[in-house]
Amino acid sequence: MIGSPDVVAFTRDDDFSQANPELWLLPEEFSIPLHPLADSNPWAKTSYAKFTKDFILISEFSEQVGPQPLLTIPDDPRVCGTFDLNYFSLRIMSVDYQASFVGHPPGSGYPRLSFVEDSRVVLGDSKEGAFAYVHHLTLYDLEARGFVRPFCMAYVSADERKIMLQFQELSLRFSQASECLKAGNRRAFAKELQRKLRDLEYTHSVLQREEGLQREAGPQCVYSAHAVEKANELANVEKSIYEHRDLLKQLSSYHRQPRRDPHAAACHRCVAECLSQCEELLEQYAKLPARPSGPSGPSGPAGPGPEEEEGVKRRPSYTPQLIKAKSAKCFDKRLKTLKELCDETFYEATVELLKETERSFRGDLCYLHTRRLDRALRRTLRLTDFLFEEDLNAEDETGTLRAFCAVSHTADNHTLLNAPPIVLGPEPAELDALDPSSEASHTQESELGPGGSQLESSPSDQTLETQESSEETKGSFSSDKSGPGHAEKPESEACIKSEPPDSDLTPDPDHNTDLERESSSEDMETTAGEDDNGDQTPVSLLEVVSELEAAGDEVPSDLLVPLDTACCMAQDGFLYEASPREVLPRLGSSSHPRVVNQEPQALLPVQDAYAVGSPGSARAAGLELPVGPLGDAGSGASAEDGSDGTMSASTGSDRAASPVGYGAVATQRQRKKAAQGALRFVRQYPFAVQALWCLLSGRTLVVLGADEGRVRRLVAALALFVPAPGKCGERIQAWLSCPFTLTDLQRWKLIGLQRVASPVGSSMLHSLSRYSRYIAILDADQRSLRCPSYRGHVLSNVADHRTCIRRGSTYFLHLQSTLCRLAARAFLLTFTHHLHLPVSCAEGPAAVEGRRRCFLQEQLGLGEEDGRVLLYLSQLITQRYLQPPGGGSAAPPTFTFNYTTSVFYKI
Amino acid sequence: MSSGCPPQSPAVAKSEVAVEGECPLLAATFAYWDNILGPRVRHIWVPKGEQLMFLSDGEITFLANHTLNGEILRSAECGAVDVKFFVLAEKGVIIVSLIFDGELKGDKNTCALSIILPQTELAFYLPLHTICVERLKHVIRKGRIWMQKGYNIISVLSLEIVPIMELLASMKTHSVPEDIDIKDTVLNDDDIGDSCHEDFLHKAISSHLQTCGCSIVVGSNPEKVNKIVRTLCLFLTQAERKSSRLCRADSSFKYDTGLFVQGLLKDSTGSFVLPFRQVLYSPYPTTHIDVDINTVKQMPPCHEHTYNQRRYMRSELSTLWKTDSEEDIPPDTVIHTDEAFTPDLNIFQDVAHTDTLVKSFIDEVFMLKPGLSLRSTYLAQFLLLLHRKALALLKYIEDETQKGKKPFRSLRNLKTDLDLTVEGDLTIVMAFAEKLRAGLHSFVFGKPFLTSMQERDVLMSF
Repeated sequence: MIGSPDVVAFTRDDDFSQANPELWLLPEEFSIPLHPLADSNPWAKTSYAKFTKDFILISEFSEQVGPQPLLTIPDDPRVCGTFDLNYFSLRIMSVDYQASFVGHPPGSGYPRLSFVEDSRVVLGDSKEGAFAYVHHLTLYDLEARGFVRPFCMAYVSADERKIMLQFQELSLRFSQASECLKAGNRRAFAKELQRKLRDLEYTHSVLQREEGLQREAGPQCVYSAHAVEKANELANVEKSIYEHRDLLKQLSSYHRQPRRDPHAAACHRCVAECLSQCEELLEQYAKLPARPSGPSGPSGPAGPGPEEEEGVKRRPSYTPQLIKAKSAKCFDKRLKTLKELCDETFYEATVELLKETERSFRGDLCYLHTRRLDRALRRTLRLTDFLFEEDLNAEDETGTLRAFCAVSHTADNHTLLNAPPIVLGPEPAELDALDPSSEASHTQESELGPGGSQLESSPSDQTLETQESSEETKGSFSSDKSGPGHAEKPESEACIKSEPPDSDLTPDPDHNTDLERESSSEDMETTAGEDDNGDQTPVSLLEVVSELEAAGDEVPSDLLVPLDTACCMAQDGFLYEASPREVLPRLGSSSHPRVVNQEPQALLPVQDAYAVGSPGSARAAGLELPVGPLGDAGSGASAEDGSDGTMSASTGSDRAASPVGYGAVATQRQRKKAAQGALRFVRQYPFAVQALWCLLSGRTLVVLGADEGRVRRLVAALALFVPAPGKCGERIQAWLSCPFTLTDLQRWKLIGLQRVASPVGSSMLHSLSRYSRYIAILDADQRSLRCPSYRGHVLSNVADHRTCIRRGSTYFLHLQSTLCRLAARAFLLTFTHHLHLPVSCAEGPAAVEGRRRCFLQEQLGLGEEDGRVLLYLSQLITQRYLQPPGGGSAAPPTFTFNYTTSVFYKI
Repeated sequence: MSSGCPPQSPAVAKSEVAVEGECPLLAATFAYWDNILGPRVRHIWVPKGEQLMFLSDGEITFLANHTLNGEILRSAECGAVDVKFFVLAEKGVIIVSLIFDGELKGDKNTCALSIILPQTELAFYLPLHTICVERLKHVIRKGRIWMQKGYNIISVLSLEIVPIMELLASMKTHSVPEDIDIKDTVLNDDDIGDSCHEDFLHKAISSHLQTCGCSIVVGSNPEKVNKIVRTLCLFLTQAERKSSRLCRADSSFKYDTGLFVQGLLKDSTGSFVLPFRQVLYSPYPTTHIDVDINTVKQMPPCHEHTYNQRRYMRSELSTLWKTDSEEDIPPDTVIHTDEAFTPDLNIFQDVAHTDTLVKSFIDEVFMLKPGLSLRSTYLAQFLLLLHRKALALLKYIEDETQKGKKPFRSLRNLKTDLDLTVEGDLTIVMAFAEKLRAGLHSFVFGKPFLTSMQERDVLMSF
């Protein structure tokens, strides 16, 4: 290739012939590269580093051996690779970070403890490709020079931008860890001082005794050299006692020191506890040692005094030791380890906090950054967020900063930190009312993962066996609540795990674990939800069940009329029986969609503005919505559940015992896994778009199959397309092995149904054929689909079987953006008022309907089928909007069908 | 020289810089590692007038020396500029240091150019960190050349230190707030076209997004300018908004490289002269919006912009290298050309690509009733969509190329699979993705562009 300098040199020879051209050519070291490596590969910027992923390094500037690495998080040698930790520790500890005096200042009577604020430094080694956020802190050690031991905690990354862009979050997290460590250190230091003082007192008493003996043994007024030496020694010990007492006093004055660091995340409770400990010690040692006389004076009786004896009795665990006159040489003594320098609970809490920090910052910056933006934007989108997004709070568990100090989150510290609760910041009073038990539950939850206290899908799934067993154990719910045991779950889990991979949904070979750095970007989402399998808490399930039963009981049983299929054929929908006092309009059908004709409050944040004060007020504003004393739509307990005695008979309360699909909040990780299944479904089933359309337009999809694993996987994949699946997937029934009823179709929008060759199976098939015109049936065994046909274009982009998207995670992102667009349009449709309200009194419903149709077709460019999706989503938003704040009951989901001819698709 | 405690010997030279308004910068220093004496401060710049916090010369010297401690171990490549960032709570200051090597009195020395701010300004400073660092890095490149020639680096460094002081002072008073009330923007109009023409608004927002959210808004009416500035900032993140500046009502600020959106006031003759060099040095291409005549122009896409920028920088450094007198520092206003490179001065061109994303957003958002939070919500949904599309695109390319190990050859598939067949849509989403993964444009589009550039160079040479 001909480069421009070559061409210039070749063509402009005469220009340069007069002088040496070399002199005028800018050397590369003073220039900038025209084609840096980053241009040829933007992912290569962080590839220079010798470590595979980010890690936390704790180093110390040892007074004996200089800077040395102590600990890495994660503690896996593969993470650091060939990266020279010694050299890097030297580099980060060489920064002059303190800028203040420590130790014994000239002219002062006693050595002073230096309360040094932490320093934060971002630095890097461009040659090594390593950059670090370094948090310098100082711990106290009685044996150390100047009583201080400098340490640092560093977050080491190959991406400098990642550190700078997240500087404040890193700073806050490391400040929390540092404060925790320092609080533990102050406790340990106080204990050490206590021991030292006791040793000194003991030594003092021994010396006094010896000195007295010598004086008595020798001639009057003549002091032997040995006696003088003893007297000096005694004086030194006394001086040392004063010094150490002063140190204790200084330590107890820690909280009175004004904090110079506005970004310090100090925990008031830790400080207060340490303070009280120090003050107690001070009080204890204030009277000690009671020196009977000067070195040359008469000595008192040898041995510990009564107070000391009392003290010894109080603290029988420690035996005081005699301190030698000359301390060990600097290099002879063994310095304490970091763990020894700190109270154990605090140390463990700090390490735990750092581990959490490492997990939360794991991954590529662009994913972390987008995730944060995503969360920030979604906080303003509560009204549509419920349609397709995972729960923001569950997702936040890994990403947000904890509001408490690290110690309060350890499992076993209730005795240590029973009250008052710990808060960060200057307002401890506000959180005084916090319940320690909630803290404990939080601790448990964090240990189990966010889904820890939630339910897995397995126990909630309906099989004949579980039905029977639940019927059997129905009467013992209350006793079950007290016990954590759950016998069914491990079985079903084992069942799932032991299954061979599905031939349909065999994972792609390229989906194997990627050990490269980037793979960690997806790992970050795993931190919250990976341990969901460990869920063993049936209590909440039973509570939900009892609540549902209670809700069901309240529903007037005569509201619903069980309709025969023949009746349904004649009608446009399955309706409530019109009662004289409450006529329910046929909402949700395309001809009469629900209308939000009440404007949100102006000048308020969205989430507040959309919260209607009460259903009554909504009705008063002219809303023609059925708001009755019925169950919460989100919980899946609808009016029909309880009212239809005949239908419930087959399932009864045992049916209601497992209303959840997933049983737990689906994490991002689970959703990505599901997306892999969805992508396979789209690629393998050419009619996938029809199935997706059914789900998105509110038509219940039944996945029929004999193989539980296959059905479950399909359901999990398709669940991504179920609008408003509920926090725990209440609208999804992953596995059902008994016939379903019409009410179930309202409750569940996606059902996994077992195909069995038995009388039960035939009744199930009967129920399928009976309701087939209202549902879509995906037969996983026959690979066929029966549903109305879809001719729209909105979904073609997410259901194109020729798509070149290879990975589930990529498909998930694409799907998210498509669903986000759909949700936005549904929002627009819902809140564009002229589409729902007559412009003039003369205008009838038909005109409004025509305007809406025109809007969908001409403004948004949507056909009939696509429009139906939007209308369904809009209906859900309306329903949500009218739900009173606090999740109370709102309008029940109306059960309507449009009869459309179904088409049979088969591969 | 003000002195709380006496300056160290030999006395450190000091420049006082007159800055309009309150400058949050406490001082800037140039220090070097003397092979005999250790770290030494050579020069201090301080803003004249009232400051948020007083630092004596001794303290400044002390802090500046700090920045070089530990650098005896430095093993960076020749010419590398490393950044160190200190937050010293003990002293209540932030120090940003750029460490580099340079020749002083015939010896290779490690040097540090630092700026010092109060710690209370951390949140204010952090969004501006990249801007300051990039600008200082380039002036260091120039300074190293000057040092190599045995000239005084201080005069070169002053060329950027002073504008940075001015930038920080101006941002203190005129930066865009991170939370913008939609009522202060065009999106609150009752109907589309109330404040400005529908097509103009669409084009402005579209181009603004195509150029990675980097725009300059010029006009004669400061209120009108600021309304558009705020409108454009609605499409930025909070950190980016904090790196954007409103226009001053009485007289215009100077153009500042690196800000995302900045409003600039035309002079009495109705014109605003943009400095070619500074605009070219912006990290992203820029959209030029004139609210007086409703025109929208934009710079070439990222990969072309980066290429042009680098060539110009090389040309500028080359010119400096050829300078044979200390007095002859070429001013920034001079446009550098050489035998191999003549920059295209016509950098602002018409918006080439139309899109559907912004078009439909603009059409739809005005259907929602103003004065409520409906439009803000719809805007948030739109931004969420763009961010997600960008991430999907990035992941798609990452999968296809095995994280850049293989060239990207399936742009057509990408467009189809991700529903980005309209060129403007692709440009917008690519711009978002570029901000997430710098160099993406060069990776995807760079090769054909470079080939064409090389062909052009060859042809022009003959």
